[in-house]
Amino acid sequence: MDLLKKSLSNAINNILRNKLINFLCLGIISFTLLTLGIFDYISYNLEIFTHNFSKNIEAIFYFKNDVKEKEIKAQISNIRKSLLIDEVIYKSRDEAKTSFLSQFPELKYILKEFDKSPFPSSIEIKFKQEESNLTTKIISFIEDIERSDIIESKQVNIDWAKKVLYIEKFISITGIILSGILLFVSVFIIYNVIKLNIIYRKEEINILQLVGATDWYIKFPFIIEGALMGLLGGIIAGILLIILIKLIPSYSDFIINILKNIMILKKIPLKILIRLLSFGTVIGLISSLLSLRKFFKK
Amino acid sequence: MIGFYHVYKQYVKESYAIYDINLSIEKGEFYFLTGASGAGKTTLLKLIYKEELPTKGQILIDSVNINLIPRNKLYKLRRKIGIVFQDFKLLYNRTVFENIAIPLLVRGYRKSYIDKMVKNSLSLVGLNHRKNYITSHISGGEQQRVAIARAIAGNPIIIIADEPTGNLDTELSIEILKIFEKINNNGITVLIATHDNNLIKMFSKKTIELKQGKLISSPIKEKQQWIY
Repeated sequence: MDLLKKSLSNAINNILRNKLINFLCLGIISFTLLTLGIFDYISYNLEIFTHNFSKNIEAIFYFKNDVKEKEIKAQISNIRKSLLIDEVIYKSRDEAKTSFLSQFPELKYILKEFDKSPFPSSIEIKFKQEESNLTTKIISFIEDIERSDIIESKQVNIDWAKKVLYIEKFISITGIILSGILLFVSVFIIYNVIKLNIIYRKEEINILQLVGATDWYIKFPFIIEGALMGLLGGIIAGILLIILIKLIPSYSDFIINILKNIMILKKIPLKILIRLLSFGTVIGLISSLLSLRKFFKK
Repeated sequence: MIGFYHVYKQYVKESYAIYDINLSIEKGEFYFLTGASGAGKTTLLKLIYKEELPTKGQILIDSVNINLIPRNKLYKLRRKIGIVFQDFKLLYNRTVFENIAIPLLVRGYRKSYIDKMVKNSLSLVGLNHRKNYITSHISGGEQQRVAIARAIAGNPIIIIADEPTGNLDTELSIEILKIFEKINNNGITVLIATHDNNLIKMFSKKTIELKQGKLISSPIKEKQQWIY
């Protein structure tokens, strides 16, 4: 505990001692983590949006005219087995005709031409709302049903969700690549800052080694320093992210209309902020360990 | 306590800093390690605390073959040895007390114990009145005494000093050597590298003489038989 307190105190003193280089380092880490945070935030919102969207997904499948009732019942039974399904409502051809007439009584005369109901039988499927990543599963499920020989056509309000999913994937991949590059840069920067600190304190390290300090006793303060730099970078990035979200300018109606639909959250979720702090600390730790490894190999 | 068996140290090809050294120093003894500049005194001392590795041969410290000590366990050897350097190797932005406390801090001792041990060391070297001074604000002689106090603070079994009086005048040098004598009287083995023959004559201690890396004279029997 004493060692931790002392290491924290030393770390803060060291950061303040070499202000310029440490603040530059902090700036780069914060920028990296801010970029990460922005992509994370957008991805998270898209995920929420698609999840909420999945609550309202309904699909109507129309059967072919020559399909036997036995086949329809078998299809309905199969569909009901799926864990995604909340409700399946079957409408026979006659029921479809009755439904049409109740909605449009003035068009009764059109149906006089037909002996049988011209409307196909159909099933209306309502999906469950509890699971995450529901939209992807639902899309896949619907495509499976559509491939069935007895299905003529479908009516699904899912095309919009598909597009959002593509955007979500694109943003995720872009975010990962960009963040990967920036994370590498951050690791490299902290690695060199810690290295400079080691060189600056070479004399002290040498004395500690000569009086019998263990390697970990010597390394620990530097590790704490690296982790602290990363953590501070994460805190700064978190604060900037909060400010940025509040300040997004609303000059484009088109973008804002989309964003208004997608950006359901007003506040930044705590888990995004925690991720930023954790990433920052881990970057700092890894960089310090890499820097110390080279020094202690001799 | 300290044993060298056919030890060689080569830095460059065909040139030996240490050549076939065999010696044994028993517990509680006081030796001067002497020789001209470049004789190998510093190299021999560095081999003892494993700052350097021998090219050939075995070195035993307190019955442990130090060649076999892995890097991550080296601290155990170093805790048995107190080292005093010609250039003091102090932390000049810290107080006298803080410098002396370093070997105790790295061992994880409690504050009360550290206070007591530092006080004892300060008394031995006569620097109680300088306890809270920043090390860069005291004289060279006092700085060397701080270095000695730090070396003994952790209760080592061996003290080695590399030209501890090299930067000091005669009067201070004598003062410093008297402190080493006091330390030796407490049962600690002392080995001091110096080329100051006047001091050596003044203190009448046993001498190990090196010339071009070879042992020229020593009161110790050579070629001891070692069991490993």
